[in-house]
Amino acid sequence: MRISLTVNGQRYTVDVAEHKTLLRCLREDLGLTGTKEGCGMGECGACTIIFNGRVVNACMILAVEANGATIETIEGEATGPGLSEIQTALERNNSAQCGFCTPGMVMSIKELLRDKPKPTIDEMKEAIEGNFCRCTGYVQIIEAILDLTGRSAEKGELKHV
Amino acid sequence: MKHNFDFIQNLLGRTVYIDDLPEPANLLHAAVFTSPSAHGSFAGLDLSAALALDPTVRVLTAADIPGQNQLGTAVLDEPMLAEGVWHFRGQVIALVLAGSRSLARRAAAAIKLVGAADRPAVTDPRVAFARGDLILKPRTQRWGDSAAAFALCHLVVSGRADSAGQEHVYLETQGAIALPDDSGGVRLMSGTQGPSGVQKIVARVLGLPMNLVEVETRRMGGAFGGKEDQASGWAALAALGAFATQRPVKIYLSRRDDMTSTGKRHPYSSDFRIGLDKDGKILAFEADYYQNSGAACDLSPAIIPRTLFHAAGAYHIPNVRVTGYLCRTNLVPFTAFRGFGGPQGFFVIEAALDKAAAALGLDPVELRRRNLLREGDVSHYGMPHEGVLATETFERCLARAGYPERRAAIQEYNRTNPASKRGLAVMPVCFGISFTKMMMNQGGALIHVYNDGSVGVSTGATEMGQGVSRKLALIVARALGVSQTAVRVESTRTTTVANTMPTAASTGADINGMAAQLAATEIRQRLLAFAAASLQLDPASLTLRDGQLFADPEPAAGPLLSFAALVAKAYEGRVDLSAHAFFATPGLHYDLATERGCPFAYHVYGCALLTVTVDTLRGRYQFDDAIMVHDTGVSIDPLVDLGQIEGAFAQGLGWAALEDLRFDDKGRLLADTLSTYKLPDGHFMPRLDVEMLQRPNPKAVANSKAVGEPPLMYGIAGWFAIADALRAARPGLELAYDLPMTCEKVLGLLTGDLVPAGPSGGEAGR
Ligand code: FES
Ligand code: FES
Repeated sequence: MRISLTVNGQRYTVDVAEHKTLLRCLREDLGLTGTKEGCGMGECGACTIIFNGRVVNACMILAVEANGATIETIEGEATGPGLSEIQTALERNNSAQCGFCTPGMVMSIKELLRDKPKPTIDEMKEAIEGNFCRCTGYVQIIEAILDLTGRSAEKGELKHV
Repeated sequence: MKHNFDFIQNLLGRTVYIDDLPEPANLLHAAVFTSPSAHGSFAGLDLSAALALDPTVRVLTAADIPGQNQLGTAVLDEPMLAEGVWHFRGQVIALVLAGSRSLARRAAAAIKLVGAADRPAVTDPRVAFARGDLILKPRTQRWGDSAAAFALCHLVVSGRADSAGQEHVYLETQGAIALPDDSGGVRLMSGTQGPSGVQKIVARVLGLPMNLVEVETRRMGGAFGGKEDQASGWAALAALGAFATQRPVKIYLSRRDDMTSTGKRHPYSSDFRIGLDKDGKILAFEADYYQNSGAACDLSPAIIPRTLFHAAGAYHIPNVRVTGYLCRTNLVPFTAFRGFGGPQGFFVIEAALDKAAAALGLDPVELRRRNLLREGDVSHYGMPHEGVLATETFERCLARAGYPERRAAIQEYNRTNPASKRGLAVMPVCFGISFTKMMMNQGGALIHVYNDGSVGVSTGATEMGQGVSRKLALIVARALGVSQTAVRVESTRTTTVANTMPTAASTGADINGMAAQLAATEIRQRLLAFAAASLQLDPASLTLRDGQLFADPEPAAGPLLSFAALVAKAYEGRVDLSAHAFFATPGLHYDLATERGCPFAYHVYGCALLTVTVDTLRGRYQFDDAIMVHDTGVSIDPLVDLGQIEGAFAQGLGWAALEDLRFDDKGRLLADTLSTYKLPDGHFMPRLDVEMLQRPNPKAVANSKAVGEPPLMYGIAGWFAIADALRAARPGLELAYDLPMTCEKVLGLLTGDLVPAGPSGGEAGR
């Protein structure tokens, strides 16, 4: 089936099999391999993208369902030559180790900050609870979100009092 | 400029893992057909339905292997493709190739066994032991005379401790791409911690000399030990496919196949006996560790000694007898996982101390304090401890945590909260650094300075997220006096640095960093000698720093030349701008006959204090605070080390309290997806307060210390903190030392539905 979709502001038209997932379509047909496959079953969050303004697991959506959709992926995150604001904060806090969860993590953080510019620490944890990271222990990721919300001073709350 | 770094590319989503590599034309995708039960036999395969699916489908079995059908290293007991009999569920029987991944997987699902019959399966290591089914002879370490010492003890307690396995859950599953090569061999891109190990296995399976097999590893999306030996089989399958079809072949496991068919941390079941004097000093300790090795040897014989070496934890014990058994069962061959047998040993000694503290009526924190290692104490394998930081990290940790006030506050909380109880535990760590197999403590590096002044470094180290590339770049940059951004760390290739060891045992930066430093120093000296000769200056007066050459007596005079200009001139002057160096950790020796020697370059120390709140109506718990003081040496890259400490702790805590790797008695893994295997998330983690104690360590590169594994042990405190809270809720509650302490188990203990399992030995002292 032929579908048209907009990814990171660019319009694509592709022919896809009915059973193909959006994740495989992005990776194989559009060559956007920044979005990762960690399980293919909606369980790890490595494939998180923003689909019509909401975060979803791209492995749980069929490509045909994306006909007409507007999609954001990691490839569209940095618009200039350098890092985006979110990426800069993650860099400063060493929030990526192996990097495999990172593209999905960035997408979840992006949606969180769009919805709630001043999230609580609990809301931050909620926003990334669908994104497993096996490397970091999450602390350095939450610290980055605190930086992004202008609350670096509250990093102490992640430690003990 | 900085954009060369993996780290930045990760954030941009531009790093390329196995499944992201551009697919070569003609690529075939691989899937595997695996055994349906824990043990059984078969006469053959019915491939008709699989082959009928599509003309591209091809199925390869053991009969198609040109070389040896063998993945084993220490013991040759692991066929790559099962022949006639299988020994665990998920064992690979056939390799299926097809034009697309989904087609290959569908074809694999369409294969049928012919003449298959199940055989009885053993899943319990104690049962295997009772049947005498050990993979290798047991190993025993003895120090002093424990039997005699027990007779002199004020108190002797014994018991049993069990710890479950743990799934690695590297986010990138196992994978490899193999390409036929016009030399008649194969080239591979493999997600492995040990490219040379893959090279050796592929050469053996294909019947080729190693020089016809080239293996490259760019990076891994996590590994944690799971891709040390266990990446080889998947790479060798891809290589077999490429060799047989003369087409490129990619294998990238589905999560379920990965969880079912790859090894994990070893489950252990252990018996202990500990004897103390009336002041709580440990006089004697004995333990028997029944390691569930799984169906094949894999790395088990290297993992057992690490359990034995860490049997005494961070404590000095004058009389010790500890024995480890490699019990063969019909489960997946268990393998390396961060800590490598160490965590299992730590859990047993901590269980013994927990039980002893209760019997003595002594504060468990105080009991641990009294037994900490001191400078010059000799370990039970005969190694004197030097640079001991056990007491210092312990006391700093308690001070940071505000102990004993914190204990008092918890008691007050428990007195006033009937449905919620808090608990606390402290966990001191002493962890030996070096591969337990001595020959593995070697590594090489090759550095090229290109004639524009940029630098490329190759070593045997593989990057799996642990930041070894960042450390290597820093080490080389410092040695050459250039900025870190001028140094590129190359992918790890068998043709560049050969005969390398897997990046494991926390030694990646130690060994490869030292080799890289030696190679960089060699080039630096050549450049300085050349500069001195051509500028007619004393070489001793010259230095390279900040990307410039200086004549040091008059630094005010400013730089003589930029590094790039010096390199260009040296190139004109026919100076060799490349260097290879080799490093073998000095001072190691070990006698296997007497189990005595100096197996470690040094030890890493540290201490964690952990608190938890348990909801005694629901069995749920929340870890509140983790305070740790960790001995990092002079950290090469503090942000990287902090990430390692926090990440290792999260894994340790997951192992101790959350991750439930359970097999049924038929050997079926009950949690084989990420919806059933629970992993730590942000909510699970406590507030984390880490102090890095940076004492120079003369035994490692740039006075640093290895960091990958030791902090994982802190997570064990999670088990004991929950136990502490449970005892506040139900005074006198008898607990089986059975890890992990999941919410389910907590609720069972609180409601009395869960009766402590196993023979929990009684008091034997006087
Ligand atoms: S790959 Fe989609 S959730 Fe794991
Ligand atoms: S950085 Fe490796 S999984 Fe998150």
